[in-house]
Amino acid sequence: MADDTVVITEDLDSYYLQMMDSITDYAVIRLDSAGTVRSWHAGAQRLTQYTATEIIGRPVALFSTMADVATGLAEANLRAAALSGRQETEGWRLRKDGTQFWASVVLTAVRNRAEQVVGFGMVVRDLTALREQSLTLRGLEQLVNSIADFEVIRFDCDGLVRSWNPGAQKLTGYASEEVIGHHISMFYTEDDARSDLLDREMASADRDGSVEAEGWRIRKDGTRFWANIVLSPIRDDHHNVVGYVKVARDLTERREQDQLVQQQRDEILELSTPVIQVWDKVLILPLIGTLNSARAARLTESLLQRIAADQAEVVILDISGVPGIDSGVAQHLLETAEAARLMGTASILSGVRPDTAQSMVHLGIELGDLHSRASLKDALQLALRLVEARSGSGDGVRA
Amino acid sequence: MRMGHDLLVTLQGDLDDVRVESVERLVTSEVARTHARGALIDVSGLDVVDSFVAQILVRLVRMVGLLGTDMAIVGIRPAVAITLVELGVNMQDVTTALDAQQGMARLRRMRADSTAGIDHDHHY
Repeated sequence: MADDTVVITEDLDSYYLQMMDSITDYAVIRLDSAGTVRSWHAGAQRLTQYTATEIIGRPVALFSTMADVATGLAEANLRAAALSGRQETEGWRLRKDGTQFWASVVLTAVRNRAEQVVGFGMVVRDLTALREQSLTLRGLEQLVNSIADFEVIRFDCDGLVRSWNPGAQKLTGYASEEVIGHHISMFYTEDDARSDLLDREMASADRDGSVEAEGWRIRKDGTRFWANIVLSPIRDDHHNVVGYVKVARDLTERREQDQLVQQQRDEILELSTPVIQVWDKVLILPLIGTLNSARAARLTESLLQRIAADQAEVVILDISGVPGIDSGVAQHLLETAEAARLMGTASILSGVRPDTAQSMVHLGIELGDLHSRASLKDALQLALRLVEARSGSGDGVRA
Repeated sequence: MRMGHDLLVTLQGDLDDVRVESVERLVTSEVARTHARGALIDVSGLDVVDSFVAQILVRLVRMVGLLGTDMAIVGIRPAVAITLVELGVNMQDVTTALDAQQGMARLRRMRADSTAGIDHDHHY
């Protein structure tokens, strides 16, 4: 060993002793050929709690657990090291107080010039914390891998995919070896990729801690799916962003359902606000059922469009099918009539029942100069007279 | 601009404070100069008709009314009508019509005699 060691001209033993004492994270121990401890230092004491006087001269099996003593593990390791020159193991070892630590043990056989094993060098390291970490990591990995319906992936700050899970494979059709190391924009539509969507998402994730988005993404086979995405930055101990976790799921079906529901709602609204042309330049809007704001807005809109399209002069708002007129409904009707008037069209209210007339007056509903008739027939007659008058030849009736 | 019994004013583009003033000046002076019996303002060409523009129109109608001329606003589109009602703009006293043709009929009916026609279109 000393043969090819250079430079040291001073006391070699003291040099080594100093060096050994400075090692505190490892136990570096010399054993004789029988496995008896022959050297000790501060790091070894820190790890096992034994002092040099307590341990030197004792067998290395002192560190073994009861179970390992029973199977003769220490001796077996020594034999293996003697045979192959080096034996590396991991396992539980005992401290002086009986507590255990997870040790990495490297045994190296030391031979004399006659190639006989004269002892062993033993390097022991406490890996308890590391083992915990790696177990936690493995647990997390298994957790992520067990998520089949969500894509849970990691990518670095350059946008390169670093981890992949079965959910991601199910969602996109790509196997992990096809995507790891590739840029994440491979799942984006051309427009999104061109508009630097990822940069914007990463920036807002950095700023807000996470960002949620929805949009089209592309599968391996080129088809699209509507994805809900949550992007969160991964930060190191110094708070620097070192990558991102992306959780995505397929909302295509839900989106289609939502759209279908919306479409049906629109159709129902359309059906519930029919505008009928009964005569040249005369429209009837038969109101049926309760009138809420959404319906009233829709109704006004479709009525005005029909007025423009049909060049209508008079509109009859028939409320005989409306169960009750409260101030809200009356307000809607008056607004509709006023909007129609702005387009130059007169409105006539029809189908006012006696009880409705009473309650309207009791409620203090003011119709202004809106014409009102009890029956649709009377309203229609008035409408025809108004049209005639407006065409210029009439008797001067003003709308 | 030449005068007739009726006047058609077509507003186009965007109305700002400066333009409003010159529109008011021009319309009133033209109405007075031509002794027009009626005037139509076509707003279908305006980019925006909001409460500001609506107040201007109401003002115009009053000014022209002081000169003894009837005025009607034509060409209010459905979306504009809804907006004006939602904004609560009071245009109760303003005569309206769907288009210029309907507006002319309306003006004629408002007058005792109905002999006038459009002599000139003033595009603004």
